[in-house]
Amino acid sequence: MRKYHLVRRADSKIGRTIIFYAVGILVSLLIGAVILMALGINPFDYYGKMFTIGLVGNRYGYKSIEGFLKIFVPLLITSLALGLSFKMRFWNIGGEGEFLIGAITASVIAFNSSGIPNFVTVLLMCLAAMISSGIIGIAIAALKVKFNTNETLMTLMINYIMLYVIRYIGETKADWNFFLREDSERPKFGTFPDSAVMTGIPLGQFKLLWSVIIAIVLTVIVYIYLKYTKQGYEISVVGDSSATAKYAGMSVGKIVLRTMFISSAMIGLAAALTVSASGTISDTVTNNVGWTGIIVAWLSKLSVPAIFVTSILISILQYGCQAAATQYPAIDSNYADLLQGLILFSVLVADFAANFKIVKKEDAKNA
Amino acid sequence: MLEVFTLFLFNIIVYNIPLLYGTTGEIMIEKSGSLNLGVEGTMAIGAVAGYLVGVKADNLFVAVLVSFIASGLVGLLFSFLTVTLQANQNVTGLTITTFGVAFYYFIGNALANSEGGWPRMNGTKLAEQSQALEIPGLSKIPFIGEALFSHGILVYLGVIIAILMWLYFNKTVPGLKLRAIGENPGAADSLGVNVTFYKYAHIIAGSGIMGIGGLYMGLNMGGTFEGSNCWINGYGWISIALVIFANWSPAKALLGTLVFGFFNTLRVQNAALAYAFPNALGWLTKIPSHFFSALPFIITLIVLIASSLSSKKKSGEPQAIGRNYYREDR
Amino acid sequence: MEYAIELKGITKSFGPVAANKNINLSLAKGEILALLGENGSGKTTLMNMLSGIYMPDSGSIFIDGKKVSINSPEDSGKLGIGMVHQHFKLVERFTALENIRIGMRDEGRFMHGADVRKKIEDTAEKFGFDIDLDKVVSNMAVSEKQTLEILKVLCYGAKIIILDEPTAVLTVQEIDRLFDVLRKMREEGHSIIIITHKLNEVMAISDRVAVLRHGEYIDTVVTKETNEKALTELMVGRKIELNIDRPVMEKTHPLLEIRDLTVKNDEGVIAVDHINFYIRGGEMLGVAGIAGSGQKELCEAIAGLRKIEDGQMIHEGESIVGMSPKKILEHGISMSFIPEDRLGMGLAPSLSITDNMILKNYNESKGIFVDRKTASEEAQKVIDRLEVVTPSTETPVRRLSGGNVQKVLLGREIKSGPNVLITAYPVRGLDINSSYTIYNILNEQKEKGVGILFVGEDLDVMLALCDKIMVICHGKLQGVVNSNHTTKEELGLMMTGTINIVNKDGKTDGIAKDSAFTDEEGNA
Repeated sequence: MRKYHLVRRADSKIGRTIIFYAVGILVSLLIGAVILMALGINPFDYYGKMFTIGLVGNRYGYKSIEGFLKIFVPLLITSLALGLSFKMRFWNIGGEGEFLIGAITASVIAFNSSGIPNFVTVLLMCLAAMISSGIIGIAIAALKVKFNTNETLMTLMINYIMLYVIRYIGETKADWNFFLREDSERPKFGTFPDSAVMTGIPLGQFKLLWSVIIAIVLTVIVYIYLKYTKQGYEISVVGDSSATAKYAGMSVGKIVLRTMFISSAMIGLAAALTVSASGTISDTVTNNVGWTGIIVAWLSKLSVPAIFVTSILISILQYGCQAAATQYPAIDSNYADLLQGLILFSVLVADFAANFKIVKKEDAKNA
Repeated sequence: MLEVFTLFLFNIIVYNIPLLYGTTGEIMIEKSGSLNLGVEGTMAIGAVAGYLVGVKADNLFVAVLVSFIASGLVGLLFSFLTVTLQANQNVTGLTITTFGVAFYYFIGNALANSEGGWPRMNGTKLAEQSQALEIPGLSKIPFIGEALFSHGILVYLGVIIAILMWLYFNKTVPGLKLRAIGENPGAADSLGVNVTFYKYAHIIAGSGIMGIGGLYMGLNMGGTFEGSNCWINGYGWISIALVIFANWSPAKALLGTLVFGFFNTLRVQNAALAYAFPNALGWLTKIPSHFFSALPFIITLIVLIASSLSSKKKSGEPQAIGRNYYREDR
Repeated sequence: MEYAIELKGITKSFGPVAANKNINLSLAKGEILALLGENGSGKTTLMNMLSGIYMPDSGSIFIDGKKVSINSPEDSGKLGIGMVHQHFKLVERFTALENIRIGMRDEGRFMHGADVRKKIEDTAEKFGFDIDLDKVVSNMAVSEKQTLEILKVLCYGAKIIILDEPTAVLTVQEIDRLFDVLRKMREEGHSIIIITHKLNEVMAISDRVAVLRHGEYIDTVVTKETNEKALTELMVGRKIELNIDRPVMEKTHPLLEIRDLTVKNDEGVIAVDHINFYIRGGEMLGVAGIAGSGQKELCEAIAGLRKIEDGQMIHEGESIVGMSPKKILEHGISMSFIPEDRLGMGLAPSLSITDNMILKNYNESKGIFVDRKTASEEAQKVIDRLEVVTPSTETPVRRLSGGNVQKVLLGREIKSGPNVLITAYPVRGLDINSSYTIYNILNEQKEKGVGILFVGEDLDVMLALCDKIMVICHGKLQGVVNSNHTTKEELGLMMTGTINIVNKDGKTDGIAKDSAFTDEEGNA
């Protein structure tokens, strides 16, 4: 007999949510600590190293920041993009595939850009990547709108098809394949000419890449777009109730197509910035942002400022693990993924606890 | 010449049976109306746990049991989050994959860097028990006997599970109730079917079956820990694709495993085939292996689009898939 | 007398709304009891407590004289209660046999073990059902589905069978057949509760009639000792004098005219059947009818949200058939519909009041940005004028109480200054004070010369508020009456399809004398 009953809380206090989330994250770090101790590692030392991403007592601290930013920029942009489509309740889990498409088209331009001014090349790379990724996004959205094809599974398939496309490019020696180094016997991705490598503002030894600035500007733009523009408003309404959107005279199909284009194009942009910043491409160029971005967007409840903060946290986690690995060879970067998973699980529980309460059911017999 | 064919057929089965485990496991979960994208991670956890305990106990049965239980626990986590807490199925499943694969590498690296190193299975009883069993009589059938009937016990188990699951879905009442939940949980609920219990039970069982598939992959690799490429190597994702290709039927999953396995084996063996039949199959070497790798996903994409174009009634896709059920949501 | 079911003091509330208040009801063994009441009188809620979907807040249930507690559909089934829901609970892609098999308990674990088919066929034969057990439900006609539902509960050995509006979807012949089956079931010793609005059916089939009104139990009468008129009176109650104003305005030309409108519902069944009516400026036209008589489809058709099969819709001399919802809005027709869950259509529940204010006109401001400044001022105005209780204009609508949600919705609709206002169930679930606020708002609009179509539930309110009332029954027009020259009883009889006065005295209701429709001869 069901004596207890779950009831959605009538109010949602932001304070309570934050406390529950904090407890959730703490619990997952605690579980992480137990794992560390099982391996004979002092969790305080390790976490200390991890959360300072190897900055403390490091002569080349600026390298840590640069490394951190290399993880942060694509993750931030991808999470924002995925958040955009999730907000519309469109399950674009094709971040990986869309990223790869963008990376490949950007590289096509990059490898053929000798002699073209740097600024022009990078701009062209970004545009080409955005358009190519965006077109895939539109195609998927069109199938969804027109035939109600399952977008989750479609985008999932795209991810893997693209993975094998880039592996093919990276492992096939041929005359046409300008992606590869000519001086290497074994197939190996080449490096971009200088014309295609992202530059930045030098601050002492540290170089602030333009991609970082673009990512931050983009965050502000997406925030404004969602919060203040008519198109952002339409996304909220469609995501909340597509029946209401139709009732209000919105053309839902058009909105879905447009938003998916923007979402995929942003992921393409993230890819172009990433390959340009690293000066090369590889089959691990995505660094799993397509997957991690989903977790970031969900942890942030699709709020733009929260995505910004969560991206920083997750990037610290990931880069911190890499940085700490120099001192703790037994713990590799997978510890970050492990923690990430634990954090999401406990935050899902925390979110539930913050929104529901258990009430005792009035016993029908006694009343 | 014929040996090439026999070997080809043999390889289709021996390298692709994990797909059958992953697919049947996922079918069981999807039939209950839940979409679990955590196949890859669930298989990875089952593989590591089953293998390590199996080596320690030096017994295949223990290994299978442990992989089933370990992955079943992952299924329990998924059910708790999505059924009880109503969390989003996509996000939960994907996180299970991230978590599970990381778990594989993490444990593997930790052990590989420890004093004893990664436990090997060479020369253990476990290795012996996973050896091929020749089925008397049947394995002597010319050409196909050796290819079909001289495999490790887990190959047969996978086939048996698929057949039993088909019978379970189509011939038993609990199977019928399960399918009813996947189609219309409200109707099943009104007939007194305990929706929550059924979802939990089948998500756990389905995840457990995936775990055995993971274990098989570990054993098939000779138990060597791969630090750069997870044992599961994308088979979990192919399984999700195969569910669609098999139209949610465990019987068709058997067939689908052979089809996907065929391409998979073609990828590995195209050179051998081309060498054996230079005139007829020489062109095989011209096709990049990546094409064969991508083929399962390309085929599935086409199947997905094609089936959404045609009338939905023929598709075996459970109608309530992906949506969480809430009795009072009416 | 021995009772199969006795309910004592059953009360059930959803939030602040009491759906059932202290209900007492008894069902004798081997009788057919009709449960009669208007919409929202709490019939279905009461029956859902017997079938284990809801649990009562207080009160007790006795089955065969024993006190029981029903916590789930399973409990209900074990007690021998079977319910045939108005919305069928069938798995569309299963065959009839499979659908029945899901709930059979004592037949082992294998599908066709222990001659399941034989047992079902025997039951079907016993009650005279003609059914193909291997037919897939999605290929069945509505009446077949219903037969299947009834057969299902019989196969589970239910002794008490509840049918929620079983005749609503059937043709006359099918209804006769259904009644034969019910009588047969009675002969076999089953006890039956049938929920219906149609008085002729009540008279034809039931032994006794229990009447609910506004969630309260009114009376149980023996069918033979009563008649349709007396039942109608019990159902709708004596006319209550409400203190609702009805300003009388000078009527202008017909603003909106509907001719021969035919619309199908989601299931593809005709829901609105050749309806004619018109609304003049400064006039409030009530729409009365049992729930599901086509009200929703009518509203959606006018708002451009539903394709029409046939007919014409003229707004100020211009046809609006085939126009997009947006175009129709721009024409000055505003529609608001409060569905049963109150949030389904017309509002985006997670968005703030401000955001919901601009749902229909966010695009009118210049530039790419949404004009939230004006919107929030408007939201504040609506909040002030309609006395919406809310912490702020930025509170998500989901967090407001039902009455306040409705005020927000209505506030938005009148803010755009429409000349035709269609409002369905605007006071659904509201307390008296909030309801009066809404009536006042509507009257203000009327005084401004707006033509209002008021789809309502409460006849007392409609008689007090509306100038004229059109009655529909199963999508068909039963007549248009002047509120001053009609009675509740007459409306009740029209709603239940007992009388139809469309063509009384040689005039045809629903067609204006000064119609903007001019046929070739120039006649109205």
